[in-house]
Amino acid sequence: MIPSILLFLDFGLLGIVFFVYFRRTLRERNKLQGQAEQSVQLQQQVYQIQVLQEIGERIGYSLDTNKIVEIITSSIGTLLDYDTVTYLLFADPESMIFKCHVHNSVPHRFIDEVKNQMLQSISAICGQEVNLANADERITGTILDDHLNSRPESYVNVPIIISDQLLGIINVASSKKYLYGNSQAQVLYSITNQAATAVTKLESVLENEKGRLASTLYSMTDGVFMVDLHNQLQVYNPAVVDLLQLRVVRGKDITMFDIINALAGKVDLRTKIEEAVEKHMPIVISEVYLRDQALELTITPVRDQQGEKRGVSVVLHDITSEKALEKLRQEFTAMMVHELRAPLTAVRWSSDALLKTLADVKAKPDNAKLKESMANISTATINMLELVNDLLDVAKIEAGKFELNEQDYNLVEIVTDQVKIFEAQVAQKHLTLALIAPPNCRVKCDKVRISQVMDNLLSNAIKYTDSGSIEVNVSIEAQSNRAVVAIKDTGVGVTREDLNQLFSKFKQLSSSDRSRKGTGLGLVVSKGIMEAHGGRVWAESAGENLGSTFYFSLPLEK
Amino acid sequence: MPKIILAEDDQLISASLVSAFTDAGFEAHPAYDGEQALAIAKEIHPDVMVLDIMMPKLDGISTLWELKASPELATIPVLMLTNMSDADTISKIMEAGCTDYLLKSDQSIDQVVTKVKEVMERGKRPV
Repeated sequence: MIPSILLFLDFGLLGIVFFVYFRRTLRERNKLQGQAEQSVQLQQQVYQIQVLQEIGERIGYSLDTNKIVEIITSSIGTLLDYDTVTYLLFADPESMIFKCHVHNSVPHRFIDEVKNQMLQSISAICGQEVNLANADERITGTILDDHLNSRPESYVNVPIIISDQLLGIINVASSKKYLYGNSQAQVLYSITNQAATAVTKLESVLENEKGRLASTLYSMTDGVFMVDLHNQLQVYNPAVVDLLQLRVVRGKDITMFDIINALAGKVDLRTKIEEAVEKHMPIVISEVYLRDQALELTITPVRDQQGEKRGVSVVLHDITSEKALEKLRQEFTAMMVHELRAPLTAVRWSSDALLKTLADVKAKPDNAKLKESMANISTATINMLELVNDLLDVAKIEAGKFELNEQDYNLVEIVTDQVKIFEAQVAQKHLTLALIAPPNCRVKCDKVRISQVMDNLLSNAIKYTDSGSIEVNVSIEAQSNRAVVAIKDTGVGVTREDLNQLFSKFKQLSSSDRSRKGTGLGLVVSKGIMEAHGGRVWAESAGENLGSTFYFSLPLEK
Repeated sequence: MPKIILAEDDQLISASLVSAFTDAGFEAHPAYDGEQALAIAKEIHPDVMVLDIMMPKLDGISTLWELKASPELATIPVLMLTNMSDADTISKIMEAGCTDYLLKSDQSIDQVVTKVKEVMERGKRPV
């Protein structure tokens, strides 16, 4: 019989272990899937906490202890000779369960005496008087016969202890004398002990699981809460409080009312929850704006294993940064469209003018006008070409297909050539341009690409400097074995925040002030070129209107 | 001779516009940003204005708001001339109160001149 009890308990344990294992694998698989599934999974977790809590509660207190004790009592018959088997359980602090199974007919007095023995025994263990004032008493089995004159001559009391807690006491009694010795008491004791150990193990598994789930929930950045059909908040994590910016009174839990209030005017959460429960369909509310935050709400109806409606779980996902990125991308696209169409418009309209001038065969063609139109077309085409090239370069860099034609060069020569090209432009803006460089600096590089970086950084320096000077400095850093080119200007400078974003695709310097044209793609391309060379490009600036210095470095040839 | 302000930051496009409107019999005043366009408008009280959207200092939409907020300039008919074709921008410029808009690269320069004349006529009629 002992094995059968253990088998029963083992199956229970096995079930839990399987449940835990299965859910774990499920969770790992879910990790790989999309966000929608992630939120569904979170809701499952919330639900499971509930279920586990309930199972735990049930096993820990009345139901299963009862069941276990019943199994113990019902299996005792084959092991021991007895008239009654009785148990006394603490149902809750105020009441007790007294159950007696009568195997052979005994009088009421017999049972009263057993009860007294048990009360004495349990009072002794507890160290205080235990009474049966609120006891739920039940007597089952054979009919009692008060004509009999039997008394409990032999009996054994065994305490039931689960997780160091005294849950009750079991008594086996018989009218025969000298029936129970040590060995019988031992049998009874080991059965209850085994059962108690198994239940304790189950409980610790549940506790661990509960703890793990709770800590996962606690540390999550998404807000998660579960609310039942009576608007009672069952579970929530700290992220709910943070995301909804709820004010919490120390030591007090938030209520569903707080949550509904926080979202008032943005979402009618109560109606949405009712809708989700009614249709038994998840509802996603995207873009709920709370102050400077954008949230996405997913409401999922929850049912228990019997299919009964239990409430809903709600996941709050912060989409503020995603929205900001999306906005940046939209702005970038809009700017690209504008920048691509502008030169095309110029070409189109200049050709219109050209055609018009030429169409009038009788009139003497105005050479100045013709020349202006042609010059405009030429300039617009060059602008367009530069832009298209930058876009293609960015695409190549992003695809990792940026190829270099590397040869041995004197970097100073490449830099000097570029500086010469810009001399006229610098003079036109009344700026001064200086070049400081050693005579020779051998590097292995793609000359066209390095010239492109120089072109980009120098033209930027000129573009963003209205007065003062531009200084180009080539130096050799022996320690790090690299060549560094610095282009220093006295122009508009860069703010600290912009410094970080200068080389990012979606950020054009001074995107708010478009007084200076450009897509900002040049810096993105320059970064790609230098990285392909095993070098770097970076910028420094003391702040707005304090000038800036752009650097690029290349490994020296060994 | 009708007076027109051509607010356009792109030098090449501006040159084409000025040349075409001068040929069409307008007194053309180029402006290279929104602030400049407003300043010239206050000075010369043009018969019609053409505004680009993406401009430095003050963009076309903000310039339009400023015009509509000023009692003396609010009645000037305005043609928005832009390369921004997204629905959001278009609804924004219509809300701001422009008389009409054109997508730049869709039009020949003659079409732009024709449209401006039409916008100017529409502005003269009491609505």
